[in-house]
Order: sequence, then C-alpha cells, then structure tokens
Amino acid sequence: MDLIIDIIKILFIFTLIMGVFSPILGWVERKQSALMQDRVGANRADIFGFTMIGLFHPLADALKLMTKEDFIPQGANKVMHTIAPFISFVPALIAFAVIPFGGEYIIHGKEINLVIADLDVGLLYIFAFASLATYGAVIAGWASNNNWSLLGALRASAQMISYEVAMGLTIIGVFMVYGSLKLTEIGAAQEDFFKWGIFLQPLGFVMFLAAAIAENKRIPFDVAEAEPEIIAGYFLEYSGMKFIMFWMAEFIEIITISGIVTTLFFGGWNIPFVPTATLISFFSSLGDTWANIITMLIHIGVFFSKIIFFIWLQMTIRWTLPRFRYDQVMKLGWKILLPLSLLNIFVTGVVILLFKK
Amino acid sequence: MAIGIVKVKRNVKMTFWERSYIPEVLRGIAITSRHFFINLVGFIPAILFGKERKIFTVYYPEERVKYPDAYRGRPILVLGDDGVEKCVACGLCERICPAFCISIQPAETELDKERYPETFTIDQSRCIVCGFCEEVCPKEAILMSQDTEIADYDRKKMLYRKEDLLVAEKDLRMRQAYVRGAFARWNY
Amino acid sequence: MELLAFYILGAGAVVTAVMMVIHRNPIVSALNLIFTMFCLAGIFVLLNAHFMAAIQILVYAGAIMVLFIFVIMLLNLRGEDWPPLTWKKLLASFIGILFVGYSLIKIIGIFRGSMLPVATPLPEDFGTTRIVGEKLFTDFLLPFEVTSILLLTAIVGAVMLAKMKIDKG
Repeated sequence: MDLIIDIIKILFIFTLIMGVFSPILGWVERKQSALMQDRVGANRADIFGFTMIGLFHPLADALKLMTKEDFIPQGANKVMHTIAPFISFVPALIAFAVIPFGGEYIIHGKEINLVIADLDVGLLYIFAFASLATYGAVIAGWASNNNWSLLGALRASAQMISYEVAMGLTIIGVFMVYGSLKLTEIGAAQEDFFKWGIFLQPLGFVMFLAAAIAENKRIPFDVAEAEPEIIAGYFLEYSGMKFIMFWMAEFIEIITISGIVTTLFFGGWNIPFVPTATLISFFSSLGDTWANIITMLIHIGVFFSKIIFFIWLQMTIRWTLPRFRYDQVMKLGWKILLPLSLLNIFVTGVVILLFKK
Repeated sequence: MAIGIVKVKRNVKMTFWERSYIPEVLRGIAITSRHFFINLVGFIPAILFGKERKIFTVYYPEERVKYPDAYRGRPILVLGDDGVEKCVACGLCERICPAFCISIQPAETELDKERYPETFTIDQSRCIVCGFCEEVCPKEAILMSQDTEIADYDRKKMLYRKEDLLVAEKDLRMRQAYVRGAFARWNY
Repeated sequence: MELLAFYILGAGAVVTAVMMVIHRNPIVSALNLIFTMFCLAGIFVLLNAHFMAAIQILVYAGAIMVLFIFVIMLLNLRGEDWPPLTWKKLLASFIGILFVGYSLIKIIGIFRGSMLPVATPLPEDFGTTRIVGEKLFTDFLLPFEVTSILLLTAIVGAVMLAKMKIDKG
C-alpha cells in the first residue's frame, strides 16, 4: 500500500513536470516575452487549422529536435559528449523529490504525506544534487572540443561554485528561524500567515532568488552561454535531443527554484489566514475522508498556483534585465551576496537569542 | 595641435537606492509586467469593440511592409512601354558587377538601338544586391526592385533568365524617379 | 538488501578508485574520483548518516571536484603515455605487491582471530542533522574551531601567494 502511494506520488510529480510544465514553459517563454515586448509571439504551428494561441509550438519543437541529426563534432569525446546532457538533466529532475506539494492528510484512516521522500537533510539534498548539475555544463563544454564551449564551461563552473556558496548561506537564516532542515516541517510551520518566510527573512528571500537564478545560469546571470560573447557556451556543439535535454533541465530547474522559494518563503501549500483545520472542518459535512481529500486537492492547487506565480516572476526577470558582465557576476556573488548572507545569519541569530529565550 | 581627448561625462552619480539595485530592478519589472498585463487582456476590447491592439507585429506572408523607394531588392530588367527591353547589351553591368553574377550574350537587331541582349542571366545565388549595375547602366535598363524573396531549394533555379527579369516600365516609375533624383547629383 | 547495496557501492568505489589511479586521461580520472565520492556517500546513507552523505556529495563531489576539473581544464592537461617499463620498475612493483599482500593477509588474520564488537542498537536520532550539530558544537567544539582556523590560514596563504605573483608580474 505504501509502495503504491509512493509510486502514485512519483508519477504525479513526474508527469506534471515532464509532461505539463516543462513543455509549456517553452511556450510560456516565447509568449510571455512577446507580450512584454508588445509582440504577438509564436502562433503559426497548427493542427487542422487550429493554432491554440501557439500551444502546438512545443510539439512542433519536439518533433523537429527529435528528427534532427545528432551531431558529435570531430575530436570530441563521444562518451562524455553523450552523457553530459543526462548529467545536467537528472539532478534537476530528482531535486523535486523532497519538495512537499501538500501537507499531511488522513484518508481512510491512513496518513498521507504529500512529499516523495521526507528526508531529514531536506534542503541539503537539493543542494547536493544541484551542485552535481555543474558537471553537466563542465563536461559538455570540455567534451565538445571547442574553445567557446570550454570557455563557457569554465565560466559555468566558476559561477556555479560561487553562487552555491551564496545560495547555501542565504537560507541558513530560514533554517534557524524554523529550526529544521525538513521541508515538510518548514512548510507546516508557515500555517500562520505572519510566520511566512518572506516576513521573517525578507533579505534572505531576495538573495536566495538572485543566487538561485544565477545557479540556473539564466539571464541576467547567463554569462556561461552569453550568445553575443561566446556563442552559446557549453552547449554550442549540441543538437537534437541532447540540446533539448539542456533546455528541459533549465526549465525544470526553474520549477524547482519556484518550489523551493514557495516552500521556504511563501508558506508552501498553506492559504493565508485559512489553517488546514478550518478548511477540513468547512468540508466536514461530506465526511472525514472526503473533507481531507478536498482539502488535499485545494492545497495542491494552491501550491502549484504559487509555483506558477514564481515561474512568471522568473520569466519576467529574465526578459527585463540585461546580462551582467562576467566580473560583475563574480563581484555580486562574492562581495555582496556572501557578506550580506553572513550578516543575515548573524542578525537572525541575535534576534532569535533575544526573543526566543 | 594634437586632437584633444574629450572626456565623456557619463551620468554615473547614483543615489544609494539606485546603487542597491533592488528598487531599480523592481521598477524595471513593473514596466515590463505592465506591458505584459495590458497585452494579456488587450484582446478583450479588440474582440468586444473592434479596437486595435497595440502590437506592432506584421503577420508577414499575409501582411507586408511597404519598402521605401531607396530599398534595393533583386535587380530586374526594364521592359519599355513599347514592349522591348531597354537594355542595349553594352556589358557595363557585366563589367562592374563585383560578384560576377551577370552574363550577357549580345545580338543585333533591326530596331533603332541596334543591339539587344539575346540572353541576360543573373545568378541570384551570387548577387550581393549592391546596386552597381543600376548605377552604371546608361539606359536605365536595369533597376533594383523591391522583391526580396529569392530563396530556392535548387541552385539551378537561382539563375534568372531574361524572361524572369523583365518588368514593365509602368510598374517602376517610383524607382526610376528615385534613381534619377539620386544620381543627378553626379551629373550623369 | 542492505548487504547487496553495500557490496554494489563498495565494488563501485573500489573499481572507480582504481580506474582513477590508472587512467591516463586526467579528466576521466577526476570523473572516476567523483563516482568514488558518490559511492562513499551511498555507504554513508547505509550507515544511517544522511547528513554526512549529503555533505559528502555537496562538498567533495559538488565543490572540490569541480575545482579539480576546473584546474585540469584550465591547464589543458592531456593524457600521457605510459613511461617505458624497465627491469628496475618491474622488480620494485613486484616487491611492493608482495609487501602489501603480505600485510593484508596478516591484518585479515588478526581481525579474524579477534572478536568484532557486537553491534549495539543505534539511538533513534542517530545521524540526524540535530545530533551532528549538537555533537559538533559541544563535544568537538575545539577540533571544529581549530579546523576553521586551519582553513582560514590556508585561504590567507593562497591569497598571499597569488598576490605576490600579481605584484611581480
């Protein structure tokens, strides 16, 4: 029974991310940028004349990229060149295992915890696998036997290491406030609206978002691909399915970042001013099990609405800000985010000592 | 005296809030998201009241932009009002063409102009649309058109023969006027 | 099940470690070392030390090895050929293998003779972040702080060395 529930949870998350979110994000990126720049955006791919405001474009993209030649440049390391997209793709995907997309519910007398793996180390697990994503970029750049790719890989590795440090330190304040590394506990602690992370750790939120976008190597921190400077950086020599895997890894990481931000700073699955108990008692006329099921569905909906909002925010940032220069990226990481996050930890510690005792 | 070094005065004095980056980022996001939301609901008045959307996109194959007269598209030959091409096969365009894409086979004719091109071929895959042929032509027989769609799947189809190149003079008045105005400066 | 996982991880760790030593291409060596770190993290998980496993991947596989690869790529090291085999080397390696093998046999013999301590049931919260933190900041505070000072010294030293080069050049 437990195994079946686990499999259902994994399938739910997997299909939602791989089947719904990441293809549609390709469409969202085009369409949102178009709307922000007073354009129309992709609207030509059609099936029997129906264009569905361009929603068939991801499908057309997938068809095109799958039938494209899988090119491996001369002198490239074939094995490394092939496994590099997987190395960047898999960590992005499995990071979602510890993000809770709902609380705990009792259905037919059975406690169901809406998280795939409720690890004690929680967020450290995400960081551990996010740090492995660096190898995808590094190996891709190295194995392509191309100077631009190598430059992109060097930039990517330097940038990702720098921002991993900053990203890890920015959320220590959150751990200190909630006293746990478990994402489920952090989420449950934010049932009260005024205990949301954004109120307790506003600086931490801003810095974490900046560091996370930098870790994902998206504009304004995309010096690793920087088309005008080093063409496309580490995935310059990739085509077809391998290219789409880098693409998908980036999109999945957007979703993961949104999930982490939602869980840590925006109350996870909780609705402001409506605690879980109130929601369950509101539906209690339907019987205990159904009340729990409806509450669960509402919470899942709330969680994914928040995720969609943060995806929108990241897309807006991506289409608003220009790219930083490389030295500016490094300066921001080491000279601004790192000291500020240390200061954040210090201040948080002092405040906790003063008020909690 | 050597050229003095001019120091560009850049307005780099920023206030503290501007330097702290976050408010300015928020301002930028506000601007872009304002456009986003206006356009997101922009189709509703368009459907209800037939108002035009504030979007500049030209739906290309269906809608086209009118190019200015000075625009250089692919070169074409002028078919005079009397139904005979103006070209006298002097070969000046063939000579001046930097891409060597024009080839002319002259022949004699009973008409006043005495010479005419038996074949006149422009290899569009080589043409760089520089407009020298138009400039050098003494008879205004070759002009640059507004046609830019010259792509094809086969290189052999890129060879435009005389029949493909001829365009009636009455369709080219605007360009003719522009060329006369532009080249009048050099007293041709 | 747990034993099977241990054998797979252990074999993976040993094989990749050997590969790391004998492979000629430095990048492939480094990747093998990463895989070794990964297997070690898996063994930590089997030992119920989840925190240690996460830190192992985060710090060793994630950060330090990236720096290794960074340096290898920056220096553009290529694979080197084996140096020619001489009689002297052959003899030396033969003696080395003999010595290590003999020591291993002796060590295994000693362990076989002695009784291994009976496994005591672990406390409920063994290996959790809280326990690791508490131990680190109470019982092992001095070694922890000394380590941090050591790292600080290393950082200052590295900066000094780099700065001397910049000032001269």
